[in-house]
Amino acid sequence: MPNFNDILVLLPEFYLVAAACLLLLLDAFMKPEQRGLLHWLSIAVLLVAVYLVVAGQPDGTATAFNGMFVRDRVAEILKVFALLCTVLVFVYARPYLADRKLFVGEFYTLAIFAVIGIMLLVSAGNLVTVYLGLELLTLSSYALVALNRDSPLSSEAAIKYFVLGALASGMLLYGMSMVYGATGTLSLAQLHGAAAHSAMPNLLLFGLIFMIIGIGFKLGVAPFHMWIPDVYQGAPTAVTVFIGSAPKLAAFGMAYRLLESGLGDLAQHWQLMLAVLAVLSLAIGNLVAIVQSNLKRLLAYSTISHMGYLLLGLVNAGPEGYAAAMFYAISYALMSTAAFGVILALARAGFECEEIDDFKGLNQRSPWMAFLMLLAMFSLAGVPPLFGFFAKLLVLQAAIDANMLWLAIVGAVFAIIGLYYYLRVVKVMYFDKPQDGVRLEVQQDVSLRWMLSLNALLLLVLGLCWGPLLGWCRAAFGLVSA
Amino acid sequence: MIDPNLFQLICFYAFGVVTVGAALAVITLKNSVHAVLALVLTFFSTACIWLLAEAEFLAIALIVVYVGAVMVLFLFVVMMLDIKQEQVREGFIRYLPVGIVVALVMLVEMLALIGVRAMQAIPMGANPAAAAGMSNTAWLGTALYTQYLLPFEIAALILTVGVVAAVALTLRQRADRRHESASQQVRVNARDRVRIVKMAAEQPARTTAQPQQPGDQEAKP
Amino acid sequence: MTLSTSILLTIALAPLVGCLLAGFLGKQIGRVGAHSVTILGLLVSCGLSFYVLYQITAGGAPAYNHNLYTWFEIGRFSASVGFLVDRLTAMMMVVVTFVSLLVHVYTIGYMADDDGYQRFFSYISLFTFSMLMLVMSNNFMQLFFGWEAVGLVSYLLIGFWYKRPTAIFANLKAFLVNRVGDFGFLLGIAAVLYFLGSLDYQTVFAAAPGLVGKTLQITQNHAWDAATVIGVLLFIGAMGKSAQVPLHVWLPDSMEGPTPISALIHAATMVTAGIFMVARMSPIYELSQGALSFVMVIGATGALFTGLIGIVQNDIKRVVAYSTLSQLGYMTVALGVSAYSGAVFHLMTHAFFKALLFLGAGSVIIAMHHEQDMRYMGGLRKYMPITWITMWIGSLALVAIPFTSGFYSKDAIIEAVGASHRWGSGYAYFCVLAGAFVTALYTFRQMYLTFHGKERFTVVEHHGHGHHDHDDHGHHKPGELAHAPHESPWVVTLPLILLAIPSLLVGFFTIGPMLFGGWFGQAIHVEEANNVLGELAGEFHGAAAMALHGFWSWPFGLVALAFVITTYIYLFNPAMAGKIKTAFKPLWTVLDRKYWVDDVYFAVFARGGVKLGRLFWKAGDAAVIDGALVNGSAGVVQRIAAGMRKLQSGYLYHYAFAMILGLILLLGGFWLVGQ
Repeated sequence: MPNFNDILVLLPEFYLVAAACLLLLLDAFMKPEQRGLLHWLSIAVLLVAVYLVVAGQPDGTATAFNGMFVRDRVAEILKVFALLCTVLVFVYARPYLADRKLFVGEFYTLAIFAVIGIMLLVSAGNLVTVYLGLELLTLSSYALVALNRDSPLSSEAAIKYFVLGALASGMLLYGMSMVYGATGTLSLAQLHGAAAHSAMPNLLLFGLIFMIIGIGFKLGVAPFHMWIPDVYQGAPTAVTVFIGSAPKLAAFGMAYRLLESGLGDLAQHWQLMLAVLAVLSLAIGNLVAIVQSNLKRLLAYSTISHMGYLLLGLVNAGPEGYAAAMFYAISYALMSTAAFGVILALARAGFECEEIDDFKGLNQRSPWMAFLMLLAMFSLAGVPPLFGFFAKLLVLQAAIDANMLWLAIVGAVFAIIGLYYYLRVVKVMYFDKPQDGVRLEVQQDVSLRWMLSLNALLLLVLGLCWGPLLGWCRAAFGLVSA
Repeated sequence: MIDPNLFQLICFYAFGVVTVGAALAVITLKNSVHAVLALVLTFFSTACIWLLAEAEFLAIALIVVYVGAVMVLFLFVVMMLDIKQEQVREGFIRYLPVGIVVALVMLVEMLALIGVRAMQAIPMGANPAAAAGMSNTAWLGTALYTQYLLPFEIAALILTVGVVAAVALTLRQRADRRHESASQQVRVNARDRVRIVKMAAEQPARTTAQPQQPGDQEAKP
Repeated sequence: MTLSTSILLTIALAPLVGCLLAGFLGKQIGRVGAHSVTILGLLVSCGLSFYVLYQITAGGAPAYNHNLYTWFEIGRFSASVGFLVDRLTAMMMVVVTFVSLLVHVYTIGYMADDDGYQRFFSYISLFTFSMLMLVMSNNFMQLFFGWEAVGLVSYLLIGFWYKRPTAIFANLKAFLVNRVGDFGFLLGIAAVLYFLGSLDYQTVFAAAPGLVGKTLQITQNHAWDAATVIGVLLFIGAMGKSAQVPLHVWLPDSMEGPTPISALIHAATMVTAGIFMVARMSPIYELSQGALSFVMVIGATGALFTGLIGIVQNDIKRVVAYSTLSQLGYMTVALGVSAYSGAVFHLMTHAFFKALLFLGAGSVIIAMHHEQDMRYMGGLRKYMPITWITMWIGSLALVAIPFTSGFYSKDAIIEAVGASHRWGSGYAYFCVLAGAFVTALYTFRQMYLTFHGKERFTVVEHHGHGHHDHDDHGHHKPGELAHAPHESPWVVTLPLILLAIPSLLVGFFTIGPMLFGGWFGQAIHVEEANNVLGELAGEFHGAAAMALHGFWSWPFGLVALAFVITTYIYLFNPAMAGKIKTAFKPLWTVLDRKYWVDDVYFAVFARGGVKLGRLFWKAGDAAVIDGALVNGSAGVVQRIAAGMRKLQSGYLYHYAFAMILGLILLLGGFWLVGQ
């Protein structure tokens, strides 16, 4: 039977559920002019959740609800960064939403529900929890994408996301049922032992493939990436920045739980599959990004390629590789919030500022924004000494350690190809003349400006001293820094 | 006397064939109402298969919830929408060969991977409900509220999100719509409603027309 | 008594804070603010450096060696930031911060009219920070960081007046020549890591004896001794930074920069980084007679032959610059004969008197309205007595008149070279002896031309021509001044006086402990067989006795001879200088053209490099790389991308179909692999 200790282990999640419901009620009784209060309350709620996660950290691993929920260092780190990313998203999103009459309470509650989904997903100790956490996250995401009801692009994106998401969920569930059929258990911990001597190894592997598709869809790796460009472009930018950040951490968490915690014994089988997906993602993401003219779409393809790099870490299938992949997920979340943050900071009512041409001559209009974008782009491209460089270095190292030198070489080659389109944005900002008739003004919101500057400069700071963060990531997987 | 096991097997295949056939009908029938009815049949025969697997509660729930409530609602919606059938069907025939090829390849792969022999394997233990000496429904309820309490709660949360999302996406309060607020109407007083403008009686008529001027000017060009 | 981490951090970071404030908030805090914060930073740093020296010397504090921050770790190699503060470091810290502080003060007067006032203060504070990081480092990585950082600031400061083409040329030259040296240095560091597996000083020095017998196959059929390779490579870095022959060509040109940095960077501190580095690496150098001989011969050559060029220079700063080259040669010779403490001792005394000479020359330049040609000076002693006296003090120290600090350090070096038996020491002894004579020649010539004799300038009053900035001075004809020269303000003369005191006295008080008393302790390691200073210690009976004995030694005789010659020529028979010049025309040409080293570099490296570059550009870059590889591959990529883009059709069922295909691919691939 569940007892009070179980609730203590889940305290941050329970707290967030309660807070989200309260915010929902508050929103219903609040005048539209008072939404600012809701905004700050939501941020405060998330920050308190960060505190609860950090403060209640158990020594080692704690489980609750008959092993349905696992609270360990991996989950803690992913949760903290998912919460912090969401705080950044809230800060960046407000002026954009306000300009478009989308500044509604549902944005905040749905995002918080999505974060709860993330937290459950990364802490899942059972296939059922994985699936339900995932559904909570994706359902909230569908609704967020469709938030701008009057935009046909938005609705189209939401429908595509929903249908493809349902298909992927179906496959994931199918895979889970196969795994259950082969082993007779849903618990990840028991799977770990049972997988090695299953009576029906082929059925197990068959289920594994379907589960990998579910993971691949959530990560957005090729060929399960098709939703990403349309959704990134179609969704309101304020929602895109959310989808592009915290859920990536969740996707890593999900992959880790399913593949390592659950089916770690089958590593030799899924390693090669992930390697194939990684190559496809690197190729499609980096190549197609080159011909994009829409920045949001470009960043969508960049996501696909980045998730390919993240897979390089997972391919390693050892603690070093997981640490590298987690480091990569965190770095990607921070980089993508910074890049989308700049788009949000430049967008105004009636002007999305999402075409690359809109950025022409940004340096002359607003040198600081251009510089922040430069940091984000260089970091995404993996230019030393920025954050993204070390993240790439680590995953490439992980691939080499896994005796997949060819994969690391492919990764390096596509990193160079990828450099092209990131640099194109920088070139447009610094060397092109501003377009006629485009007024580039930066949002006056003070919190947005400060947080964005902090976010982008963090890419530089973490690029210079990435030791502590990597140390945490490594410690989470039981590695002690020498 | 027929062997119960054999009878079960025959039932299983019979319901299985009906299920697959009905599912095929759902996507091939031209009339949408027929398609929905075929879906009802699919659910029904699935429920029968579940009954065979001794999952009585789920089977009943499927019939009560899906067949009884959801599908009837669906039927109403389909009937009210009056969908043009030709548009929906367009391209179906064109892509059918590709679809069949893909489906066949998938089938071959599945058979090759899992193999036919796997059908005979019994990886599961005994029926836990029977082992606990409870009815299927009672056991399911116990498991849901003890072992699977957390997933149960999460499912509730998902439903909440569904409600919030549905409201957020459909409830419209457009700014340009005129609506009345009874409480405000009651609270209004004469001073707010009627503005008394003092003006000299002998002013020329021209000035009284002035308030309308801006509108006139806009209309001219 | 132990050294506190926070004090050491404050010493290093106080100049950086000043630099950042003056650099980024220069407009907001204004001129007074800029020089106040930077001088305050330096004051703190200098005061604490003295305190650290006191703790180490009088308080008996043990050497401080800790890593403060780990930058990154790759495998077994870890790069960290840390401090190693022993007696050698403490002495360097005091010299650097003290000279830097005085230069900061001096700059208030020298740069008073300049537009880049705040920028200049920011740069020199940044330099101080970098130099401190260099000397306080406890590993090669940080050493290299400081090494490059001081190089960068030097580059920025030589080109401080970036609108002058000559300044841009000079800083480019300095940068390129240093690059050659730094390349060797980097290879040396790499060799250390390769052979010894660490970059931490303590680990490396502890493991250094293991280098004996190890070899490296660089050329065919000949294995090179590892210690020699490391020593020579590291020394190549020092040759660039400390302007040793043949990488010395950048230093005279660097005089294009403002005079305060000539004093600070190009005389007292940065150029001595190479000397410091070799002294710090003494445990490695001691393992290789070959590397030390190499160091000695290079140094000796520089000591004599660059000094000779100084005799024919007319620019007051260039004379001092060539004298710096020559003195750096002396220090290097000392390193080459294993008299590391002698080299460091000379480094210290030289820092004081050479900074004094540069700042004095700067004071003269201010008085002469930025005229630097000594042919248009003369008789200045009447106008600027403080500058005159202090510069004489500096000059006496430079030519090593007994009892001055220069005497103790230089004489010790000459004696040590005489006592050495290393291969090439005979040549080195000749060079340093002749160098003493040459030093006296150019020094006295400079003093006479500047301060004595007839005035060779005229004062042309321009009415209404009041306060003006530097650029205006260019309009005057040589030798015509708008105002009569006058003594510089106190911010200029105060540093002169404060530098004159150690120039005179510091040698007398410190030679005993530093050279012969083993003051450096563990910081400098000398093998017993190489210990020339140890041999000399037997003959040392106190500073006063050494000075008195100095009056009867060869070097003093040569100086006296030079004094007589120059006095006769420049005070009593000025026409004779011209006659000598015509009589020895070929020799004069050789010196005036600086042995054609610059010209050869231009013809071979610069022009050849441009030609080679053009060849590679046209044939390699434009045709093969740009045409075929870059644009070709980019074109291919572009075409593939355009094709793949079509996959993203926007149709939902295409997307779903792609997912199904992916599933089939995985299933099929797995099936095939499984077979």
